[in-house]
Amino acid sequence: MKKNFHISILFVIIFLLATIQIFAKIDLGGELSTSLISIIDNKGKISPYLQGSLDLELFLPPLDDTQAKFEIYLFNDPMSGGFDCLIKKLYLKYKFEKLHLTLGRQPVSWSFGSMLNPVDFTLGAMVMDEETGSKYQNAIEAYVPLNWNTSISAVAAFPEASQEVKWGLRGRTMIEGYDLTLNYVREPEMNLLGNLIPSSQRIGFTVKGDLGPIGIYGALGYYFEDNDNGDLAFLIGGDYSYFFEAGNKIYFQVEYLSMKKNKLSSVLGSFFTGNLDNDLDERVGLILGMINYKIDEFSQVNLMTISSINDGSIIVMPGYRNQLSNNLNLDLGTAIFLGKENTLFGSNLSDEVQLKPQGMISVGLTYSF
Amino acid sequence: MKRIKCVLWLGIIISILISNLIIISASELTAEEIIKKRDDNEYFDLVRIEAEMTIVNGGRKIIKTMIALSDKKNSLVEFTNPQDRGTKFLKREDDLWMFFPDAEEIIKISGHMLNQGMMGSDFSYQDIMESDKLTDLYDFKIVGEEEIDGRVCYVLEGIAREGVKVSYYRRLSWIDQERFIGLKEELYAPSGKLLKVTTAIEIREFEGRWIPIESVMENKLRGNTYTGFKIIQIEFNPKIPEGTFSLQNLR
Repeated sequence: MKKNFHISILFVIIFLLATIQIFAKIDLGGELSTSLISIIDNKGKISPYLQGSLDLELFLPPLDDTQAKFEIYLFNDPMSGGFDCLIKKLYLKYKFEKLHLTLGRQPVSWSFGSMLNPVDFTLGAMVMDEETGSKYQNAIEAYVPLNWNTSISAVAAFPEASQEVKWGLRGRTMIEGYDLTLNYVREPEMNLLGNLIPSSQRIGFTVKGDLGPIGIYGALGYYFEDNDNGDLAFLIGGDYSYFFEAGNKIYFQVEYLSMKKNKLSSVLGSFFTGNLDNDLDERVGLILGMINYKIDEFSQVNLMTISSINDGSIIVMPGYRNQLSNNLNLDLGTAIFLGKENTLFGSNLSDEVQLKPQGMISVGLTYSF
Repeated sequence: MKRIKCVLWLGIIISILISNLIIISASELTAEEIIKKRDDNEYFDLVRIEAEMTIVNGGRKIIKTMIALSDKKNSLVEFTNPQDRGTKFLKREDDLWMFFPDAEEIIKISGHMLNQGMMGSDFSYQDIMESDKLTDLYDFKIVGEEEIDGRVCYVLEGIAREGVKVSYYRRLSWIDQERFIGLKEELYAPSGKLLKVTTAIEIREFEGRWIPIESVMENKLRGNTYTGFKIIQIEFNPKIPEGTFSLQNLR
């Protein structure tokens, strides 16, 4: 069914290309990345592996009010040793006068500028400013612009782990310089690796704006559950830039998230599979912080942290980025997991099997073309 | 013969009188009028620009290319170089929005980011996307007259008007007396510290207007670094669809 869906969209795109003679304007671009990742376990043993990926995008010129997009992500799987691929975009968008209709494989992301988003269309789609593959959905989106900053969009997505449709509705507007969104998501029953996850609903609200020289934002989400046992999650955060006399700049971002433990793994995404096997009804408070210092026009250092105020465990992630040339970037990244065993972010061993490492170091190069 | 001499003298006297009149009328221009003439050259009701930005630090440089659309109050910039391709910025008055092409998401950028270097350059978002007339932002006065590259310039000092949001509290502008174009500009912080210096490198005439098509911005707080801005193509009053400066157009 999904394969037929992709093939149908691909055929429509090829048909359009063939009929409108725009081949000369088609451009190909993307990113080629390679990185050496080393995992450090509890005993200090380092296990390195090489990761490579190619992100390829076809830049097709729009034809009047119609756009087509195709982007594919090829990567090596260190577990199997083979290559795998993810179709990121394969869609057609038609802009009617009062409705934009997007049909096909597309990103559905409701980010609003926070590092974690408890009210995204797909929870965990964007984590700490990093994207994950889960935001790419087979979907139909209807977007209705009401004025320059106000819109309503409706999404019907077809998740691979379900036979049913996932629904989403989002309204966006701006009042007194504040960007406001209100959204609703109905998740169908999912079958993830043999585990049946019941259908659920949630409603969310986000706000982002300025309070003097400080950028502020917040989110409020209510996750409906049976027996009136729902969960109210909230996030508040802010960002600020400080300029030194020498012209250098330091950027701060801090946020606090409060929610029940049972939804936390979804919001944290696959990057931070915390120890979530006990007290799932416990309310957890997380503090996230980011400091970014721009050394010069080409290089910067940053430090990200995520810590649980319940058990004091913390992940510390220092990083360095240097733009070596027009199209080549060097990235150094580290993640250190600190905390006692069985704490949220502490490293963990079970029956001598490493469930969670003590740290990770990565060195990577990215070439854009 | 006597008659010819008389006519000659009369001609000389009339020429002197006329040239004096021209000098008097030129020097009688007020700072407001000079800046207005400059605005008439450099300020656009609606313009589309294709440009190249070269960021230089020591021996290293990177080039970013962009397409910018600007009207009286709003501007839209789309980057076209491989690394930033598809990244868009929309500025409407004091609000800045950014479109991330990968996630196809639109995020409102905090106000403090407006004064930061755009995509790592020495030009701030405000420098590139400012669409207000200088006369709406600053109170100017003439403070002198200097020559730059053989061209006589008015030197004007502009102080930010009260209640108006600007990136630089004070600016000194060297304006060509003949073409009414800014040849050099010094930008200062409220503390009096010199922050940046912009110099016009190449000026061309388009449709009767003088435009600096190549300029350099030096960040005086950091040594050994500058950003060049070169206009590759310029189009005045292009036909643009309704809703160009809107969030839906960023998608």
